Amino acid sequence: MANTLRLYLTCIRNTLDAAMCLQNFPCQEVERHNKPEVELKTSPELLLNPVLICRNEAEKCLIETSINSLRISLKVKQADELENILTKKFLRFLSMRAEAFQVLRRKPVQGYDISFLITNYHCEEMQKHKLIDFIIQFMEDIDKEISELKMSVNTRGRLVATEFLKQFI
Amino acid sequence: MDPASRPAVVIDNGTGYTKMGFAGNVEPCYIVPTVVAVNESFLNQSRSTSKASWIAQHNAGVMADLDFFIGDEALEKSRSSSTYNLSYPISHGQVDNWDSMERFWQQCIFNYLRCDPEDHYFLLTESPLTAPESREYTGEIMFETFNVPGLYIAVNSVLALAAGYTTSKCEMTGVVVDVGDGASHVVPVAEGYVIGSSIKSVPIAGRDVTLFVQQLMRERGENVPPEDSFDVARKVKEMYCYTSSDIVKEFNKHDKEPSKYIKQWKGIKPKTGAPYTCDIGYERFLGPEVFFNPEIYSSDFTTPLPVVIDKCIQSAPIDTRRSLYKNIVLSGGSTMFKDFHRRLQRDIKKIVDARLRASEARVGGELKSHPVEVNVVSHPIQRYAVWFGGSVLASTPEFFGACHTKAEYEEYGASICRTNPVFKGMY
Amino acid sequence: MILLQSHSRFLLDTLLSRLQNIEKAVELDYHWAEFDDVRYHIQVTMKNPHIVLLSVSLPTPPPETVFLSGLPAGAIEAIKAAYGSVVQILDPPRDGFNLTLKLNLSKLPTDEEYKHALLVKIASVREVVLGAPLRVILKQLASRTVASDIDPLVALVHRPKESFFLIPQAEKVTVVFPMRFKDSIDIVLATSFLQEFVDARRTAGLNNAPYCMWSPTPPLELKGAPDEALSVNAGFVTFVVLPRHVEGKKLDRTVWSLSTFHAYVSYHVKCSEGFMHTRMRRRVESLIEALDRAKLGMENARNNAAQNRSFKRLSLKEARNHSFN
Repeated sequence: MANTLRLYLTCIRNTLDAAMCLQNFPCQEVERHNKPEVELKTSPELLLNPVLICRNEAEKCLIETSINSLRISLKVKQADELENILTKKFLRFLSMRAEAFQVLRRKPVQGYDISFLITNYHCEEMQKHKLIDFIIQFMEDIDKEISELKMSVNTRGRLVATEFLKQFI
Repeated sequence: MDPASRPAVVIDNGTGYTKMGFAGNVEPCYIVPTVVAVNESFLNQSRSTSKASWIAQHNAGVMADLDFFIGDEALEKSRSSSTYNLSYPISHGQVDNWDSMERFWQQCIFNYLRCDPEDHYFLLTESPLTAPESREYTGEIMFETFNVPGLYIAVNSVLALAAGYTTSKCEMTGVVVDVGDGASHVVPVAEGYVIGSSIKSVPIAGRDVTLFVQQLMRERGENVPPEDSFDVARKVKEMYCYTSSDIVKEFNKHDKEPSKYIKQWKGIKPKTGAPYTCDIGYERFLGPEVFFNPEIYSSDFTTPLPVVIDKCIQSAPIDTRRSLYKNIVLSGGSTMFKDFHRRLQRDIKKIVDARLRASEARVGGELKSHPVEVNVVSHPIQRYAVWFGGSVLASTPEFFGACHTKAEYEEYGASICRTNPVFKGMY
Repeated sequence: MILLQSHSRFLLDTLLSRLQNIEKAVELDYHWAEFDDVRYHIQVTMKNPHIVLLSVSLPTPPPETVFLSGLPAGAIEAIKAAYGSVVQILDPPRDGFNLTLKLNLSKLPTDEEYKHALLVKIASVREVVLGAPLRVILKQLASRTVASDIDPLVALVHRPKESFFLIPQAEKVTVVFPMRFKDSIDIVLATSFLQEFVDARRTAGLNNAPYCMWSPTPPLELKGAPDEALSVNAGFVTFVVLPRHVEGKKLDRTVWSLSTFHAYVSYHVKCSEGFMHTRMRRRVESLIEALDRAKLGMENARNNAAQNRSFKRLSLKEARNHSFN
C-alpha cells in the first residue's frame, strides 16, 4: 500500500517537473493584461494536453498546463462518510486561507477536491523543485491529516462513551 | 421552534474581561477575565516513533483538549498547579490565539451559559480596528464548530452608544471613549456608522494605570510581597482611585489631612500566610492622572486624553462635529474612576472655548458663534456598557434580520461575515 | 469539562449571592435559557428581598408525551419531596412558563452544608421536574416492582417536540433514544460517536454498565410509537438499565445522565469540531512553512511574521500576481 503511494507521488513529481516550464506570456486579446491561460482556455495553441494520474478510482491528480500557468487538481480518497466530511471540512478550512498559500485556488476544479494554480510569477519567486516538494508534501499531509482526524474522532467517541457509561457503575 | 423566539446570546470579549449573557437583560450573567488555562503537557512531548506509545499519547491528547479552564477558575488553577499554562487569547483588542479563543467560547457557551448554540442567535463584539479576516475566522468558528443559526458581529463602540438608548433619547451620533484594560480608542460614530478615518488610539489603558500604581507603591517602599504586587495594585486601582480636578490642590489636601486621605491596605502574603498592611497615598489620584498628564507615566506618548478626543472630533466631517461634542460617551472599566467624566468634560470644554475665542478674535468680534455644547455622558453601567448596548440591540426584532444566517454562510462562505449592516434598531 | 453538571450554574450563583447580601434589597429580574429549550426567569423585588420567584419553562412536549397541567407526571410530588417547606408552588404559573416556584430564603436550614446542598438541588430544578417521571419508573425498578397501570411504552420529553421511550419491566427498563441532529456534519460525527458507545461497553472495565445498542432502524420495542417519533437521522440508541444501576445514590445520577443524553452527545460533537480546528490550524501553519521554504531568499526573511498578516504591504510583484485571481 505504502509502495503504491510512493509510486503515485513519484509519478506526479516527475510530471510536474516536466510540466513546470512556464514563461511570461501577455494576454493575446486584451492589451496590457496578463492572464493564466489555463484558466481562460480561449486559445488552444497555448494549451498542452492535460495529464491525468490515477492511483485508483478514488484518488487521482489532473495536471493541466499552458504557456504561462499550470493547474493541479487533486481528488482525495474518501472511503466512508466520515472521511468524506472530514476531507470536506479540512479542504474548506484550507481554501479559506488560500491567501496565505498563494498557489492554492480558492475553488477546486469541478470533480476534484482541491486545486492549485501556479503561474510563471510563482515560479520566478520560488524555487521550482521546492515548490514541487511543497505540492507533494501537501498531498501526503492531507492524507495523513484526514486519517489522524478520523482516528481522533473515533478515540474521542470512545472516551466520551466510556465517561458516560462509567457513571452507571 | 424558531431560534429567533429565544433570547440571543450576547458575548463581549474584551482584552481584560469578557461579558456574557442573554439579550433583554440589564446585566450580563458573567463577567470573567478573558484567560484560558490549558494543559499543554501532552503537546510538548516529542513524537515517539513506536506506534503503541504514539496512540497512547494521542488518546491523552484527545482528552487533554477538554482539560482546560477559563476566567477566574483558570487563574486559580494556574496558581495551584504547574500543569496549566495561562493563555490570553485577546491582546490589545485583537484575537491573536484562535485556539484559545475557540476554547474560551466553548466554555462560555457550554459551561457558563449552558445553552445549546444551535438554539440562539449570537451577537459578538469586536474593536473598530479589527481586520475583516479576523471577522471571517470568528464566523468560521461560530458557524462550523457551534452551528449557530445566526451571527452578528458588532463594533463595540457602536454598542456603547446604543447603551444610552434607554437612558436618554436614542442618539446614534457621538464619540465613544472606550478605555478598556488593554486598549483605548476614541471612536466617532455618525448615525450608527463608525468614521473609520478619525479613530484615534491611545496607548494608555487600564493596565497602564495598574502598572503605574504598582510602580508608585514600589518606589515608596510599601511592604507588598513582590509576587502579589500587581494584583494588589489592580485592587487598589479598582477600589480607591479617583480623578482629581487639580493635582497640586490634591497634593496639598493629602498633606494637610493625611489621616482622611491615606488609606490602608490589608493583605495576606501568599507564600507565608503572614498578614501585612501598607499605605495607599498619592497613587489614589495619580493613577487616573496618567490619562490627563501622560508624561508622568511615559515619555513616548504625551498627548492628554482630552486633546486626543478634541483632535478626533476636529478630524471628523464638519457637519457632525457639533453633535459629536454634544455626546461623548464613556465606556469600559477604566472610565469608572470617580469624577472621570467631569474632569474630561471640563478639559475638553476649555480646549473648545479657547478655540472659539481665538476664532472670534480673528474675525474681530463682529460675528458671534454659538457656543459649542460639550457633554460627557456617564452612566452607572459604564463597565459593561458595550454588553448592555448589545443586549438592547439584540432584543429588537430588526436584529434577527440583520444577522448572517447559517444558510447564508453555507451558500456564500465566511466572507459574508466581513460586513455587518447597521440596522434600524440602531437609530 | 466532560460531563454536564446537573445544576444551572447561573441559578446557583445568583441564589448564593442573594443569600450573602440578604439584607441589601435589590431589584432582580432575569431571563435566561438553557440547552433543550428550558427557560428560566428569576425575580426578586425590593419589597421582599428574601422571596425569590423562580419560573421555569419546559420544552414543548410532543403529542405522545403525557403532561398533566403543563408538567410531566409526578413533577409536583417530586418538587415537594425535594424542597420541603422552602418552596411553594404558585398556581397558576407566570405567563409563558410551566412552573413558578416561590422560594423563601429565610426558611433555609441554618446548617451550612445542608443549606448548600439544598441550594444546589434548587438550582437543579430542571432535573427534578423533567426527570420526575423517569425517576418514578427507575425507582420502581430499584424495588423490582411494576405498577400494573403503567403503559408498556412510556414516552418522555427531553427536547422540544422530541421524546425518548421507556419500556419498563420488572427486571429491567429499556431506554430508547431516537437521535436527531440538525447539521449534516453533526449527523455523521454523532453516528460514529454512538457506535463507539456500543464498542466501549464491550471493553473489560465497563462490563457492569448498562447494555448498549445502536441501530439505524427503529428497534422492535418501539412498535407502538407514532411514526413522526421514529423519523431520525442518526439512528436509535438503546440502553438496558438494570436494578444495580439505580441503587441508592446512583439513582439521581442515572436520571440526570439519561435525561440529558442527547445534550451530552451534541456537546461532545461540538467540542470535537473545535478540536479539529485546532489540529487543522497547526497543519496549515506547517504547510505554510513548507511553502515558505520554496521562496527565494526566504532564508533570511523567515522570521518576518508580518508575511501572512492581512496588513501586509503588497510589493509590485505580488500585486501583479493578485491581478490574476
